[in-house]
Order: sequence, then C-alpha cells, then structure tokens
Amino acid sequence: MTDTPRPVVSVRDLSKAFASKTVVSNLSFDIFPGEALALVGENGAGKSTTKNMLCGLLTPTSGEILVEDNPVTKVIGAEHGISAVHQELSLFGSLTVSENISISNLPGHAARIDWPAAEKTARNQIEFLGIEIDPRALVETLGAGKQQIVEIAKALLHANKVLILDEPTTSLTAIEREKLFAIIDKLKAGGLAIVFISHFMEEIYRVCDSFVVLRDGQQVGQGRLADVNQRALEEMMVGRTMADARVDLAAPTQVPALDVRGLSSADFTGIDLTVNAGEILGIAGLMGAGRTEVAEAIFGLRPATGEVRIKGEFAPRNVKAMMARGLCYVTEDRRTNGLFLNRPVRENLSAASILKFVQRKLRGFGFQGEKAKAQDIVADMNIAIPHIENNVSDLSGGNQQKVMLGRWLATLPDILIFDEPTKGVDIGAKFDIHAAIADLARAGKAIIIVSSDLPELLHITHRMAVMRKGRIVGEFMRDDYDSVKIISLAASAKESTSNAA
Amino acid sequence: MTLLRTYPALVIICALAVGFSLLSPYFASAGNIEAMLGANAVVLIAAVGMTVVFLAGGIDLSISTVISASAVMSGLVMAATGSVALGALTALAVGMVFGALNGILIGYFSLTPFITTMATQLIARGVAFVMSAGIAVKGTPFFMLDFGFMVWFGIPALTIVALVVVVLALVAMARTTWGRQVMLVGSNAQAARFSGVNVPAVTFSVYLFSGAMGGIAGFISIANLGNAIPGVGDTLLLIIIGAVVLGGTGMAGGEGSVGRTVLGVGILAILTNGLNLLGIPFYDQLIIQGILIFVGTWMATRFGSRREI
Repeated sequence: MTDTPRPVVSVRDLSKAFASKTVVSNLSFDIFPGEALALVGENGAGKSTTKNMLCGLLTPTSGEILVEDNPVTKVIGAEHGISAVHQELSLFGSLTVSENISISNLPGHAARIDWPAAEKTARNQIEFLGIEIDPRALVETLGAGKQQIVEIAKALLHANKVLILDEPTTSLTAIEREKLFAIIDKLKAGGLAIVFISHFMEEIYRVCDSFVVLRDGQQVGQGRLADVNQRALEEMMVGRTMADARVDLAAPTQVPALDVRGLSSADFTGIDLTVNAGEILGIAGLMGAGRTEVAEAIFGLRPATGEVRIKGEFAPRNVKAMMARGLCYVTEDRRTNGLFLNRPVRENLSAASILKFVQRKLRGFGFQGEKAKAQDIVADMNIAIPHIENNVSDLSGGNQQKVMLGRWLATLPDILIFDEPTKGVDIGAKFDIHAAIADLARAGKAIIIVSSDLPELLHITHRMAVMRKGRIVGEFMRDDYDSVKIISLAASAKESTSNAA
Repeated sequence: MTLLRTYPALVIICALAVGFSLLSPYFASAGNIEAMLGANAVVLIAAVGMTVVFLAGGIDLSISTVISASAVMSGLVMAATGSVALGALTALAVGMVFGALNGILIGYFSLTPFITTMATQLIARGVAFVMSAGIAVKGTPFFMLDFGFMVWFGIPALTIVALVVVVLALVAMARTTWGRQVMLVGSNAQAARFSGVNVPAVTFSVYLFSGAMGGIAGFISIANLGNAIPGVGDTLLLIIIGAVVLGGTGMAGGEGSVGRTVLGVGILAILTNGLNLLGIPFYDQLIIQGILIFVGTWMATRFGSRREI
C-alpha cells in the first residue's frame, strides 16, 4: 500500500479565513487511495474547517484542492467524489433507510420516483457493508451504530474517491466500533481513501496509515504513523508546554464552598466534586463527555439525582434557589442560552440581578441605579461599546462574553461555574477574562471552569478533574499537570485506567 | 432621528393627519376627532393586550372573541342585576378565565400559541353566541348608555378609560420587574431561563393580561355600542394585529412597545375616518389598509430595530 505512486487528492497551501480571522492556514498534504489519513488536533485546531473544504461545504480563501491533478473549483453536492460523514448525523428519522440513502439522488424522473430502484440501491449498499439492516425500517427505530452505517452507506453513493469520517465512534458501543473498523478496512482494500478524524489515539493507530496534525490552524506535523509513537503525536497536538505561561494563583482555602455528591442522569453518572473557597477547579474532557450537562444540572437547569451542598448546607437544585445561595453559571452557548441580542447592554447586564434595583416608592418608581451599575461594569470589565443602550448584538464576541460575565458578577456570587469562558473570543479579551477569573479566586470565590481548551485549564486552575463518557476518570493537582497524560486520559477508549481516581 | 427610531409610525401618522386635513374640511373638526377617538377605545385596549403578548414572543388570536364573550356575559349580568359594577367585574373575570386557559396551555403545557389561541377563539365565540342566543343582549343599564356619550375635557370618557389602561401598561412594561421579564422572555426565552426567570409563569401572565384586556375591551364595547353584541369582536382581530404591527412591534418578541401601538391604532383610526369622509368605499379601504401595513412593517424593520447611537 505504502508505495502507491499517485495521490488521489492533493491539498496545496490551503487556507480559510472567516472575516478577518484565519482559521486554517497553508495546509499541504496528500491523500492516497487505499489508505487512511488521520486528521488530528485539539478542539478548535481547524479540523472541521479542513473537512468542510474537502467535501465542498466551504470555499477555500486561498490554495487549492486537486482531485487526481484536477483543481476543484466549485463543488455542488459531492460530484468530485469526496463525501463526509459528519459528527452530527444528518439523517431524517421519520424516513426509511432506503429513502435516506438515496435522498440526494433519487432514481426516476422528477415527478415519478422509482422507489423499487431506490430500495435496490440501498439494499446493495448495505449488503456491501456487510451489516443487516432492513431498507424499509424507519431510521429513528435504529440504534446509533446502525444509523452510523446508514450514514456511511449514503456517503458512499457519492464518495468514489475519498470518504471522510468525523468522530465516527463517539456514540458507538465497543462491538459496533469493531464492525465499523472492519468496514473501513474493507473500503480501503477496495481502493477508497479514508480521512479519519478522531480524538481517540487507539482508534487512529488501529485504522490509519498516515497522519496530519493541526494546531491553531497550522499544520504542525505529518508523516507515517508507523514512524511515530502516541506520546510524540500527542505532544505535537498540544504543542508548547504552558508551564512557563502559568499565572501565579493564590493558595486556596480549605473551606468547601460547593460539594456535589453522586450526581447522576442520563448523560452522566456518579459525579462527585468539591470546590473550596478561593479555588479554581477545571473540568477537562472531550466534547460529549457530559461536562456541560453536569454544570447545568448543578445549577438546576437539568433534571438529575444526587445532592448539592453549598457551604455545607443542602441546596435544592433549581435556578432561583441556587442563585439565592450565591451560585451562578455562565453558559457555554451565549447566543442560544445567554444573550438577549435585541435588547440593550444595560438590560443584558442586569438580567440576573434586576431585583436589586427595584424602587417601589412612587418617587422614582422603577429601577434605581441600574444604569449606574451597568456603566460601572462596562468600565471595570473594559467592555468596548459607545453606549450602554446599544443592543448587545452590536458587540464583538469577546465583549459579548464580558457582558455575560458582568451579568453574573452583578449578582455578587460566591461560586461561579464557567462553561467555555473564552470560546470564540480574541486573545485580548481572553487575557481580560482570565485576569478577572484569577482576581475572583483571590477574592475568595470558588470557581469551576469547564473548558475544551486544555492550555487554558493548565494556565488558570488549581486542580483539574477529567471527564470521559459521563464519568470523572481522573484528577490532577496543579503541580502534577501533564497535558499529554490528561489528553490521553480524556480520550482513552478503555473503560478504566490506572490514573483514575 | 432617535424619535423616529423609537416610533417609526410617527411619520405615517403625521402624513395622514396633514393629508386628510387638506382634503377634507371636517377632518380636523372637534366633533370628528371626538367620534374617531370614541370609536377606537375598544381596539386600543385590546391592542395593548396583544402588544404585551407580542413582546413576550407569542400571539393571542383569541382576544377578539374574548371581547365578545365578556361583553355578552357582562351584559347578561347587568340585565339581571342592574349593577354596572358587577357587569364590569364579570367582563374582567370572563376575560381572565380565557386568558388563564391560554396561559396554562401555552406556559405550562408548552402548546403553540397560534393553535392554542385559535382554539380559544372558537370557544369564546361559541360562548358568546350560545349565551346570547345570537342576538344583542337587551337591558343595558342607562348609566352604560350615558357613559358611552360622556365627554371629559373634550375627550370621550371611553377614550380616557383606554388611555388610563395605556398609561398603566406603559408603566408596568418599563418600570416593573414583570415588564422587564416579559421583554427578556420575548427576546430569548432560553437565556431568560438561564438567568433565573420563571419563563412558564411569565408566559402565563402575559396571556392572563391579554385576557384581562379583552374583558375590559368587551365591557367598553357595551358602552360604545349600547348593547352587548355577540359578534362585536369577530371583525376586530386583524385590525388589532394590524395596529400593533403598524406601530412597530414585531412578532419575534422583545422588540417594540405599548407606546408604538398607540400610534398604530392612531394610524388605522385616522385612515378609516379620513377615507370615510372622502367617501371611499369600504372594500377600497381594505386595499389601502393592507398596503399601509406593508409600509409600516418595512419602516419598523428599517428604522426601528437597530439602535446605532
């Protein structure tokens, strides 16, 4: 396999920028038929953008993609022979398997679809993959593993050259995973090229032949997997050790502020967490590990069983009660769950603390001091806006995030849970937010940070818990931080590890 | 420019007022203005209710026939007891019962506002016709008839009632926690929940409020028309929604105000009255009204939504 002379797809100096922000720059690599290429990197390294350019969903800003030496210009559908199975499945649950497989290319004339032909195609595809699925079954009645197979069958109708699989195993059981790998082997033997995106190192070594490592949109390494061990690959992904860039954190107290015992739900099991006053606890893990779900459940936004104690006292898990006890949760998804986009910055800032401003006397009936408080927050947090009456939609991502932070600081919380506090913000705003968090800890607040940005957690936390598939699988103290260990623990496919607490 | 952004409908209302004054000598007369105001009290009160629902991101299609049902029930109670106060309370209570029904179904059972209030609209219409046997309720107390013609400080009493409602709603929306929470829920219900707002309760409350406005409007319609009429609200729904939208309150929620709705009602009132004075037939007026709603909505999105100070 290794001496195949001609690549099926060549990527040359590929770059992509959104507005002025470059997400991927100057990628150059080859994809060979009959081989699997691993595209690896941390969350946000640019893997998805690269995938989307390859399958034609995004147009590159510069550089080119050559398919059998022909440059790809404008792609409609997957006519260039590259197709992807995305991490979020794109199936129609209420349609049958055969309808889903042939949806983008239904046989027959426009007005009269040849359903028997469609079913035959579907049957052939499924048989080829060697899995038993009834083409007439509704997709929503299938398990996650079979849905994944349907998705692959659908992609294979178009992918006669390259099939991209993006985190294909996250929702699969061990047996389904093995079946999938067998299918991949079969496809490779048939001369198809595979691009495999995964966080799981074991899988990459099981499936792939070569690799490309992305970090912050740059291609930082490439080669044959046979020539490099797992640790070296992980070091390429993580890059510089952040030890020298760490901030000096004040020592935390030994007074527990938040104590979570046995929190469980459909998304996570048996979560035990304690944070002391003045301490910053990080929760690391991959997307889908259940970190956001845990944070939301603690704040009372999701049903769960288990016990939450605040300063030693039992706290009922509903938002109002949690807020009254000094807890706050700064959401990961500020556009969906956080901001009131068509309302002014002032109202966004006071949204969680409006009761503090209520003035019930007839003179000045309404809200007293709301404006002044908003102006104070804007000044303190260095939020760049001309006026507090501007709609929050006018602000940049970093400033919007500061508004979210400001809203919760106005409630004078003792315990703060941050979910991806610096997602999608620029370096300057990131610095301001980190400084604000460190100050809060110094002032005796207890803090939990959920983040997919490992360097960020290394930089700003006292202690780190690692979550994988709904469980806490390990805990590290700041002095023992080892990014490679943490990553491999978060991404390990094994159910138990020696590091686990 | 700021005024135009807050009240995009102001341009249209001025243009119409000036235009009709030039075209018809009667338009600006005291008698005509009085008639115009009195005739629109019912619509204004109901439109206040609809505005609050819109601001919370919902819609209340039942408000028109809730007006009818509360008018009929109130008329029956007044005919039986002779008590105007009891009649007023009945109207308010009937409106709030329908509002509570909408509020429970939408707020706590998460049904869609459009379908739910459409069903309530049918029920309320049925109640109005069943209870009245389909004809105007007789036996309206004389005070109600007199009240319909009373004029205080040159303004019809009915209009003053409507304006008091408007002022109370303005204060509630701008200066109470409830008003603020309505705006936040309308802007982003999920974010409101994450900020500790009890979204189901706020949703319930706006439909309750809207029902109450329907009840008051129903009561006022008796004074305005002389009798409780079972079909009084049937034709009002599109006028009410039209007025709210023309004023510049969008259906997406979190954008607009009760103040804007006053202007929207004003536009439709002036337009109908002016076109009548000019002798334009009813159906031609409908076409003009429709076009004006296009223009009004366009202006609201063009100038109203984005504040760039």
